[in-house]
Amino acid sequence: MLNRRITVAALAAATAIGLALSPAAAQQKPPVKIAAIAPLSGAGAFDGQLAVEGMKAMAEVINQRGGILGGRKIELVTYDDKGTPEEGVSAAKRAMEQDNVDMIVGGWFSAVALAQKEVTRDKIINVMTSSQHPNVTEQGHKYLFRLNATSTMMSDTYSKFICDKMKVKSVAFITINDDYGRLEVENYKKLLASCNIEVKGNEFYNRDDTDFTTALTKLKALNPDAIYVSAINTSQGATIYRQIRQTAFKGTIIASAGNMNPKLIELSGPALEGVYCVSLFAPDSQNSSLKQWMTQYKKDFKNEPSFIGSLGAQAVQVLAEAADKAGSSRDYDKIAQTLKSRKWDTLLGQISFTDKGQAMQNIYLVQVKNKQIVSVASGS
Amino acid sequence: MDFIVLGQQIINGLVNGMGYVLIATGLTLVFGVLRIVNFAHGEFYMLGAFLTYYALTLFGVDYVAAALLATIAVAGLGIGANRFFFRPLRKEHEFTILLSSLGLSLLIANGAEELFGADPKYVMSPYADEASEIGPFVVTEQRLIVFAAAAVVMAGVYWFIRYTRMGKMMQATAQNPEGAALTGINTDFVHGYTFALACGLAALAGALVAPTAMLFPTVGSWAVLKGFIVVVMGGLGSVTGALLGGLLLGVVESLGGGYISLGFKDAIGYAIIIAVLLWRPQGLFSVSRSTR
Repeated sequence: MLNRRITVAALAAATAIGLALSPAAAQQKPPVKIAAIAPLSGAGAFDGQLAVEGMKAMAEVINQRGGILGGRKIELVTYDDKGTPEEGVSAAKRAMEQDNVDMIVGGWFSAVALAQKEVTRDKIINVMTSSQHPNVTEQGHKYLFRLNATSTMMSDTYSKFICDKMKVKSVAFITINDDYGRLEVENYKKLLASCNIEVKGNEFYNRDDTDFTTALTKLKALNPDAIYVSAINTSQGATIYRQIRQTAFKGTIIASAGNMNPKLIELSGPALEGVYCVSLFAPDSQNSSLKQWMTQYKKDFKNEPSFIGSLGAQAVQVLAEAADKAGSSRDYDKIAQTLKSRKWDTLLGQISFTDKGQAMQNIYLVQVKNKQIVSVASGS
Repeated sequence: MDFIVLGQQIINGLVNGMGYVLIATGLTLVFGVLRIVNFAHGEFYMLGAFLTYYALTLFGVDYVAAALLATIAVAGLGIGANRFFFRPLRKEHEFTILLSSLGLSLLIANGAEELFGADPKYVMSPYADEASEIGPFVVTEQRLIVFAAAAVVMAGVYWFIRYTRMGKMMQATAQNPEGAALTGINTDFVHGYTFALACGLAALAGALVAPTAMLFPTVGSWAVLKGFIVVVMGGLGSVTGALLGGLLLGVVESLGGGYISLGFKDAIGYAIIIAVLLWRPQGLFSVSRSTR
């Protein structure tokens, strides 16, 4: 009994000493906490992993430079949204209520972004990343920003190229059966009709399909000059490209905007050689902050830097700089105003934000050549 | 109607169906002999595919050897799963066993995500991309191999159960475990090799089908779902039922997807389950057991 009392007393004393000593250690300023909400399990898990890796590499670059706001480091808190709206909403709630984060980065898939923005509405700075549905910013809020070009912006640029440069007279679509896929087909039907390319058909597939031969047999029988593949996750995309080749389709393959990455090329094998895509990310660009980030990324992770990772990095980069310029990580009105008021030099080139928080980015036309993504032309 | 497209869709369906047959046969054997509904069955399919991938990339053996190695290794894992997981639960209520198998499934799937990583993988087979044109129809060599290998293996399984001593011991255990034990059959031993056979078949399916699509750790949940649909169609415990049910499901899915709507493809399987359970709960192809 006595022994235990002594132990308790000793522990109490130790704690007291520890507390007394801690102010010296606490000279270090509190970190700026940014929530990274991404799909870390399920079919989109790999893309979520790439996204978080991109954010971590950029946070590391900034922290090595001494952080922001006079020496505060950036700390990422990661959450799994499983690619579903419900989990995305609950992750945002946990980030705000339990972990008291300063800012939120999320919204990789449109369906998740559309639900999540209602939780963060007018409460916290929320940057949406790769989601392309126009309504994310059209029905956004005063603290909401979105980095990726909308599917409408992408298809405007891409369709011009398809009309002018690709010598195709007809096209058939294979698209994912969700908000994004349906909107895409609608856009392209209009845009391609305006330059007399005939749309011969469209097949929707589901989020967890692994066999596409049925759909591709149908599309091939329509005998189109090109097949447009809209695939938002790497694993389904690679399967579709391979199976197109396996059905002995000999025409042109068009990859949907923003969905080209090194892993996809590796997995798809020869099926992707020569295929075009549009992207905000051109890995061969000469941007110095892109090079810095890519070096850090390759040092820390074994994956190749990808578009999805570069978007995550861009989110961390603009948030850090905006908070630094605004002089606070919590004065959301000031940060939002700063973000909208000027141009930002980022790893993906110079960008600016509209009043609705939509980023205006460079759009590059890229092509797969010898298993590398190379830029062919740029537009906006 | 375009007969070339129709023929092509039937071919697609038969190949997919043969994959379902291999998965479902293991599921139906384990149910028939041990009365276990094994939700973890799909994970053995996943492990078969992943082990094939690692045998290819780490040991550098060729595709056929890798597939065989993976099948044998997973058959061994099946014996282990029975010995250390299902056997200690034997006396429990069947719902306990069912829920435990669901737990085992989650454990293996999440463990695989941790161990193998979330990035999709592709099993390189030299036969995967070569399309052979047979008349107006296009089939890759890999898909021909899926069909041919599965057909041979199924014939072997049928012969094994019907004519060998071990197969007859399985039949006896399935019909009446106590009676079989009384006549001197070591039912523990029978359970062990039934599991090995079932898991080996699932792994073989994984190894054969993997080169036609990308591979990720949660693919097992897809496999077990297709397996269950086939088992319900063909009648629980029936191997010939699994064969006919699997081929039928493959063709129906492919024709339904091709001529009605692709978004409807999965719904067809569920609709079949409901219809079968309502009107022929003993399975489409088995004679009614209520008379025995």
